[in-house]
Amino acid sequence: MMRFLLLFSRQGKLRLQKWFTPMTEREKKKITRDMTTMVLSRQPRSCNFLHWKDLKIIYKRYASLYFCLAIENQENELIALEVIHRYVELLDKYFGNVCELDIIFNFEKAYFILDEFLMGGEIQETSKQMVNRSIEASDMLQETMEEYMSKPAF
Amino acid sequence: MSDVVEKTLTALPGLLSLDSQPGSTKLSSSSKLGNLIRGITELTSKHEEEKLIQLELTSIKEQVSSPNTSMRQMKELMVRAIYCEMLGYESSFSYIHAIKLAQQGTALEKRVGYLAVSLFLNESHELLLLLVNTVLKDLQSTNLIEVCMALTVVSQMFPKDMIPAILPLVEEKLNHPKEIIRRKAVLALYKFYLIAPNQVQHIHNKFRKALCDKDPGVMTASLHIYLQLIEENPEGYKDLTTSFVTILKQVVGGKLPMDFNYHSVPAPWLQIQLLRILCLLGKNDQSTSEIMYEVLDESLRRAEINHNITYAILFECVKCIYTIHPKSELLEKAAKCIGNFVLSPKINLKYLGLKALTYVVQQDPKLALQHQMTIIECLDHPDLIIKRETLELLFRITNAQNVTVIVDKMLEFLRVNKDDYTTIDLVGKVAELAEKYPLM
Repeated sequence: MMRFLLLFSRQGKLRLQKWFTPMTEREKKKITRDMTTMVLSRQPRSCNFLHWKDLKIIYKRYASLYFCLAIENQENELIALEVIHRYVELLDKYFGNVCELDIIFNFEKAYFILDEFLMGGEIQETSKQMVNRSIEASDMLQETMEEYMSKPAF
Repeated sequence: MSDVVEKTLTALPGLLSLDSQPGSTKLSSSSKLGNLIRGITELTSKHEEEKLIQLELTSIKEQVSSPNTSMRQMKELMVRAIYCEMLGYESSFSYIHAIKLAQQGTALEKRVGYLAVSLFLNESHELLLLLVNTVLKDLQSTNLIEVCMALTVVSQMFPKDMIPAILPLVEEKLNHPKEIIRRKAVLALYKFYLIAPNQVQHIHNKFRKALCDKDPGVMTASLHIYLQLIEENPEGYKDLTTSFVTILKQVVGGKLPMDFNYHSVPAPWLQIQLLRILCLLGKNDQSTSEIMYEVLDESLRRAEINHNITYAILFECVKCIYTIHPKSELLEKAAKCIGNFVLSPKINLKYLGLKALTYVVQQDPKLALQHQMTIIECLDHPDLIIKRETLELLFRITNAQNVTVIVDKMLEFLRVNKDDYTTIDLVGKVAELAEKYPLM
């Protein structure tokens, strides 16, 4: 089961955080600090898996963003790496050639996609089409409403 | 800025944009969130950032408490509040408004409201009770998107005591014609099972129905529950072994729709869940294990492509083969697999190979001997994580001859290691070895 997912830039700025178990604010802050220090200090050619307390941390860098996922001890690390990759692929399909700016300015959309993909720490939907279709359906609702609302009133 | 001008300005990017991708909203150029973010990136010190965010938070606080704020504006304010919380600044005044937004907003506002709730609150928060009513209402709505949102939030957090109130509604959704709703209902029930297992005892036959659902997504979701159930009580589910084996056969044989392919591997996560379940079912049980041999063989063969995900599947296969009742051909093939991992130049695979060896070495010590040169090389690897895994492996194969060498290496590692948890673990191991072999 997954415990948390963090996205942060190379300077350690947090871009997205998703916690799959309840934690206090203090714990969350401490964990975020620990993760950023640990992951950012890794050498480029080392393996993508780390140990931290009783969890395993899987991290991968995509351009300027670090994706950091924590899993419990009996989980398969390589699969977690692929979970991260799958999430990136979903973001890429949705935003079209996604970059860090897309995630920064549309972070709530990134959250929506994440919620369709992972649920309570497990993979929910492995079909790319399904995830995309659900987001697109909600988006189309949004687009129609926004078009309607932004028609000039004069 | 007057209302009319603002409306025109927000419409302009949409009218002028050349590509209409549903993804990237063009509103970021004029939105308040965009301005906030840009403001923060321009600052240089943490102190200034704090000042700016505090200003922002006071302004948001004023606006959310004012009775004139429309739901649409509330949505925008919530997004900014989420952003501030993410950066570490508390905005607990906005929690109640997030719940209100989920309650009173229309579809898109509800969506942001629910998102804010799932990010701000947690299971033990007292405000969560207020959400129950909203969720109940949305579950009965005719708008499918609202039902989906409600089920999503239920699967993420729900107060334990209110489960009886919502259980019948969720159960009813298990029979819904739309597969996305069935799937989310199964996951909500999984969550209920995790927090309050006795409340869902009576619906186990519905899980069986979900397992045989024609939509692979629903079936995959039900596997989470089954994995949990089988972990606690493998005996009760041995009769399902043939079903699981059949499903795995179909998946590996490529019978699922193309959608579920991930880099030309059919539904890898599904395969791994099934392999884990089979592992638990076949442990210490010869007759059950015999049913699985064929499909395990097939999985080993199919996972030949050079991609991370196939290695992940191979790893699970190998683990499964070594846990269930042994069969020599499969063991041989698995041993070869592990050998390939350990000898691979890719560092992630080496790690996995070492891990597999650690798991396997109790049953088959010869395998470790075969690769002892590589293991010794790994001891001096620059990556601390690989070193640690190697020490873990060596701990398992310690005997009277090599104990001194191994403990020496462990002590050396302890000197460079900075992580408390690992230190405690290793010191414990050294102490254990010292007890076992007192004459060193």
